[in-house]
Amino acid sequence: MITLSKKLKEDAARKSSGSNSKSPDLNNSTKRVSIRDRLLIKEVPEMTSSLPKTCKVHFPDVHKLHHSLLTISPEEGYWKDGKFIFELTLTEEYNIAPPKVRCKTKIWHPNISEEGQICLSLLREHSMDGTGWAPTRTLTDVVWGLNALFTDLLNFDDPLNIEAADHYLRDKRDFEVKVQRYVRNYAR
Amino acid sequence: MSTTKTSTMSMPQAAANPEVGSGTSTGTSPAGSGPGTATNAKPSDQRLFSLKKWNIVAMWSWDVECDTCAICRVQVMDACLRCQTENKQEECVVVWGDCNHSFHNCCMSLWVKQNNRCPLCQQEWMVQRIGK
Repeated sequence: MITLSKKLKEDAARKSSGSNSKSPDLNNSTKRVSIRDRLLIKEVPEMTSSLPKTCKVHFPDVHKLHHSLLTISPEEGYWKDGKFIFELTLTEEYNIAPPKVRCKTKIWHPNISEEGQICLSLLREHSMDGTGWAPTRTLTDVVWGLNALFTDLLNFDDPLNIEAADHYLRDKRDFEVKVQRYVRNYAR
Repeated sequence: MSTTKTSTMSMPQAAANPEVGSGTSTGTSPAGSGPGTATNAKPSDQRLFSLKKWNIVAMWSWDVECDTCAICRVQVMDACLRCQTENKQEECVVVWGDCNHSFHNCCMSLWVKQNNRCPLCQQEWMVQRIGK
């Protein structure tokens, strides 16, 4: 991929021209990063080529594949017509540690807090059942999982935003009105 | 050898034709004595053709359930992604769990610190064997 070859060239250039005293530390840090980056070289094309049709991915800096913005535009359901932006950040510990995901768009949703925290089992770092994060999972699974929060994985029974879940159980019609108000105000 | 005539058409005999490169015949014939008898029994000039050279190509692969490390996605017989980058290819070994799933030992030791379960089957991780 273009971004990797550029990065390798840059690293090589830095190594050959850079000050010798600094180079060992520099090498170490680039090496550690490269495990994640080498995984991403394979995972990113796989993810972008198998996106749900409601999703778009954008890399603000093409040299940082570990930082991406995912836009989900649900075609049906309560959040229809909204555009919800999720920020995915992969630390150097990826794929031992799961991606960190926040919802940048304010939303009224039982599994997403108004501050953007997300309750999705596969993003859970320490999970004792089989549904949490595992290094066998990839970015593709994360994107499909987030997308499913608007469809199959929408869960009113184990909510993060308890108020929103109660709202739905109390008055579905009013819940829908509030969701659509949030969509109009924040998710266009 | 009583069976020589009836078995001349079988593979080992045909392969170990008397004209097979004289110096290497012992290496290529699995049953050393059989072809030897054949050589003595039939003079080579009665053959329609003779085999001058014989190259054997062999392939092998691991006979295990999973041959790619599910953590770093490199084949377990190769060094893991980490060891490749850190130039420690020689130290990189494979670990098998009681569940029979295999990973690079370095990949798995990082993962069990976080969750002591096999990432593939979610069983509690118990090391069965470490090695190449």
